[in-house]
Amino acid sequence: MQKDETLDAKGLMCPMPIVKLAKKIKEMQVGKVLELIADDPGAKEDVPAWCSRTGNELVEMKQEGKVFYFYIKKKAE
Amino acid sequence: MVDKKKVAIIVSEGTFDKAMMTMMIANTAVSMGMEVHVFATFFGLKLLTKGANPKAPGMYRLFTGMFKKKMKAVGVEDFAVNKKMAVELGVNLYACSSSMGIMGVTEQDLDPGVKILGAAGFLNIAADTDMQYFIG
Repeated sequence: MQKDETLDAKGLMCPMPIVKLAKKIKEMQVGKVLELIADDPGAKEDVPAWCSRTGNELVEMKQEGKVFYFYIKKKAE
Repeated sequence: MVDKKKVAIIVSEGTFDKAMMTMMIANTAVSMGMEVHVFATFFGLKLLTKGANPKAPGMYRLFTGMFKKKMKAVGVEDFAVNKKMAVELGVNLYACSSSMGIMGVTEQDLDPGVKILGAAGFLNIAADTDMQYFIG
């Protein structure tokens, strides 16, 4: 999966992954893809919810053991 | 993209748990593109003062440090840091004007950026919000 930036949020519990995600996406250009790595169990629901609320696209999501990898494409400012 | 939601939160207690919940919900909501308004009244007013350092309630007071340590271990910062983050992210903070007299809080005691408002002023804002929460 092609990615432009990575945000490692392992070890951070809700809501920190989301707060950091929002901050990071703000710094990125529209069209770029962010890889977000998180092991917060809440992230599984939080991240897709955040994407639909903010108009950004969750291109892909995969799970390896307890770690989630989200690929988020910035669609909106 | 969905419509921009608006959130109103009233916090009337000043203990560590209520303080953290207020800021964490506010910061999450604002991170999701929502417009957030937080009204602090009675004991909650203390949270919007400079150097506010809320303690865990009642008999848990002595465990405040332990709670903070556990939260820090999972990336959740102190109340002061979360409050600063809220202001930076654009959360609107309001101090209840009547409570200021009752709780002995002056305008100089309040954090920069905190607006002073009465109940009617806040209810006027809350009337146009989609979600209203009372933390007390």
